[in-house]
Amino acid sequence: MVVNKVQEILNQIHSKLADFILKVEITRYGRPIVHLKPEANREAIKCLLEAGENAGLVAITGVDAGSSISLLYHVRVSGKVITLKFNLPKETLGIKTISDFLPGADFHEREVADLLGVIFKDHPNPERLILPDNWPEGLYPLRKEVDEDKLARILNGRENLYTEEIGSAENRMVKIIIGPQHPALIEPEKFTLEVDGEIVRRVKPHIGYVHRGIEKAAEKRTYLQNIYLLERICGICNACHAACFCQTVEELLGLRVPPRAKYLRTVILELNRIHSHMLLLGHMGLEIGFETFFHYMWRDRETVMDIVEMLTGNRVLASYITIGGVRRDLNYEMIPKIKEGLENLRSKIPFYREVLEKDPTVKMRTRNVGVLTKENALKLCVVGPVARASGIKMDVRRDEPYAAYDEIPFNVITYDEGDTWARLMVRLEEINESINIIEYALDHLPSGPYGVRAPRVVPEGETIGRVEAPRGELFYYIKSNGTAYPERVKVRTPTFANILSFIKIAEGGGIADVPAIFASLDPCFSCMDR
Amino acid sequence: MALDLNFILRVLLFPGFSFILTLTLICDWIERKIKARMQNRIGPTYTGPAGSLQPLADVIKLLAKEDIIPIGTQAFLFRFSGLFAASIFMFALLFLPVDGASGVFSWSFEGDLILVLSLITVANFFLFLSGWASNNPYSAIGAARILTQFLGYDIPLFLLALAPAFLAGSLSLSEIASSQLIPFAALAPWAFILFMITLQAELEKDPFDIPHAETEIVGGYETEYSGRRLVFLKLAKDAQIILGAALAVELFLGGPYGPVFFGSSAAWYTIWFMLKLIAVIIVTEYMACVFARFRIDQVVAGNWRILLPLSVLSLAAALAIDCWFSCAVR
Repeated sequence: MVVNKVQEILNQIHSKLADFILKVEITRYGRPIVHLKPEANREAIKCLLEAGENAGLVAITGVDAGSSISLLYHVRVSGKVITLKFNLPKETLGIKTISDFLPGADFHEREVADLLGVIFKDHPNPERLILPDNWPEGLYPLRKEVDEDKLARILNGRENLYTEEIGSAENRMVKIIIGPQHPALIEPEKFTLEVDGEIVRRVKPHIGYVHRGIEKAAEKRTYLQNIYLLERICGICNACHAACFCQTVEELLGLRVPPRAKYLRTVILELNRIHSHMLLLGHMGLEIGFETFFHYMWRDRETVMDIVEMLTGNRVLASYITIGGVRRDLNYEMIPKIKEGLENLRSKIPFYREVLEKDPTVKMRTRNVGVLTKENALKLCVVGPVARASGIKMDVRRDEPYAAYDEIPFNVITYDEGDTWARLMVRLEEINESINIIEYALDHLPSGPYGVRAPRVVPEGETIGRVEAPRGELFYYIKSNGTAYPERVKVRTPTFANILSFIKIAEGGGIADVPAIFASLDPCFSCMDR
Repeated sequence: MALDLNFILRVLLFPGFSFILTLTLICDWIERKIKARMQNRIGPTYTGPAGSLQPLADVIKLLAKEDIIPIGTQAFLFRFSGLFAASIFMFALLFLPVDGASGVFSWSFEGDLILVLSLITVANFFLFLSGWASNNPYSAIGAARILTQFLGYDIPLFLLALAPAFLAGSLSLSEIASSQLIPFAALAPWAFILFMITLQAELEKDPFDIPHAETEIVGGYETEYSGRRLVFLKLAKDAQIILGAALAVELFLGGPYGPVFFGSSAAWYTIWFMLKLIAVIIVTEYMACVFARFRIDQVVAGNWRILLPLSVLSLAAALAIDCWFSCAVR
């Protein structure tokens, strides 16, 4: 039935844009790709956005294919991803922007422009996004002719790649600079707020402070090495990165993962989710000046850390998931201990729910603050808890089940308010769901091997992978060239998709609301920049 | 004027400067410890018994730091506003009867309540100036927030402090304290509750710690301060907490007076005073722990729409009680 829906959409686009379509294919991995002429990109995307519910742009991938650059627009329609592929010859690297009718594409386009030199014509804000302001012109790091050593030479030869900007007052407006070092931000990133008294008039983001070129580095490492590299994109949701990468590579290999490994993956992914959500809820308490809430949350989070340590041997960077399965088996003696810890955690949740629902000060700081309507949420292409708090029922675990999610019952939590409070409540309720999922998985744990051996060399092909990370949909695109090294690894993290909405909802609010709104989106700069 | 040794001792030792300084540091420790226990932490443990010397260690450490005056600051104000604020708060404390006598000075005059309240206003203004003098957007906003918040709570604080004055029929702090056979907190509990809420705002404690909301504006008005200038700002804040709590004790909790079991009444009164003071501090810390921070617009709206009318009402109610009381007595 699902295939029928995709087929229906493909037929629809075929009938509308027959003149521009070069080829419509469903790859051997079951992924639909539509090859189009570059001039039809706007029409094709508009057509897809209208074709199904909750439609939005997932990512734009650029791949250096020698004489040309292939541009892949991954569009989410009714929970499935349809890829539109355009080939741009390197001499004329221009394509029309889509961010005028789909504002959520803004950062995606600018990232591709930065890293591959594609020009998006009529882009409303064609500034640099990820690369520093004085990065040499015409040097596009993700092009194949640019090797790592050259980049290292350039970076070492230059100091102070960032231009200084000091807070100043112009007319009535005071410029407040949040970051790169600021108590509200644990990681370095800069946001310039122009404030009129206490009201924020304009937000200007400067991201890229922690851009480490991981996508480039991944091309120089084997698939196995890449697991450990990609896990370090984000410490908090590391298991999700490993899971997403491994299942994409397994798809390329045609490898079937044993059921026990699937269940164990589910366990670690859900532990990851609880850990991330609790970390955020605590942090949120700090942001609205509720230190007690912060200390309580982080105390209870330790339970999860202990379970992760027991299961994987490490508290944070678990390195648990590997290609073909998981790295070590679950000992049956652990099950009662894990359940005890989770039971303890479950007993705390009603208390936190009461605090969030009843406490008058929390209410005043979070209700109706930073409202993101469903309409805007779709336009800005937000994902995960942020989207679910705006009433968009979107969850990769349900839409495109991976690991063992097709066998485990769970609810997708949505709230309609779209405010900061709803974003917190979604996360709190998801902790509860995650506990249920883990308990179900432990009760129904299949026996058998926990992994299979995977070949080192991956046959030629390209495919995508999606995982519902704690912060939303995590998206990988991998192109292999028949060797032990990937040709291209594209990572679109949920935080990158969500950060644009911050700018839109912070404008017009008070300064005091900025940290609350910001934290409620669960930003993580190390995974946003990669 | 002849050199009065007793007077000098009272100013310098007890209940003057040394006593106040010690009390400030002890209360700082108690505050930290209570807050930590409420938040499921341990708090200071290392320096001194149960970490009780930690505030002193902090002061000494900061005094030894390099003195930095950033470029572009209003040098004079930047240098001295913290010092002024701290010394004005301390000066105001000298008027509060601690051991049963009337403050440090053997004379207490009709109207010293008004003087103390005015000194609080002046000292707060110096805190505002400390932020204003540093050339930093965070400080500027922190300073503006002090002033905005302060405009809202200063008038209610005055009105609420007048309620006990009416009940006692005097504007002298020692008169008010000594005339409380029944503490005014029991006689006019609504005024006491409102006073405690206003005090929370006056002391910039959660949910009113807006002027130095670190996640929004870093350190607020004290962002640019370091070393010994910071010490004085911190001392000013700590002295302010003592002063606020002591005012609550004098006005509503019967001042230093309590049962004397044996020996010197002055010693017992001091103990009662400190116990009551600590009780007030525990209550403020408790409030600070269970609330999230308000936004500045919410505080201003709350002050003018709710707190001010309520304090006028409470003053009226105190007057009514006073009339009824005096009629009944007659």
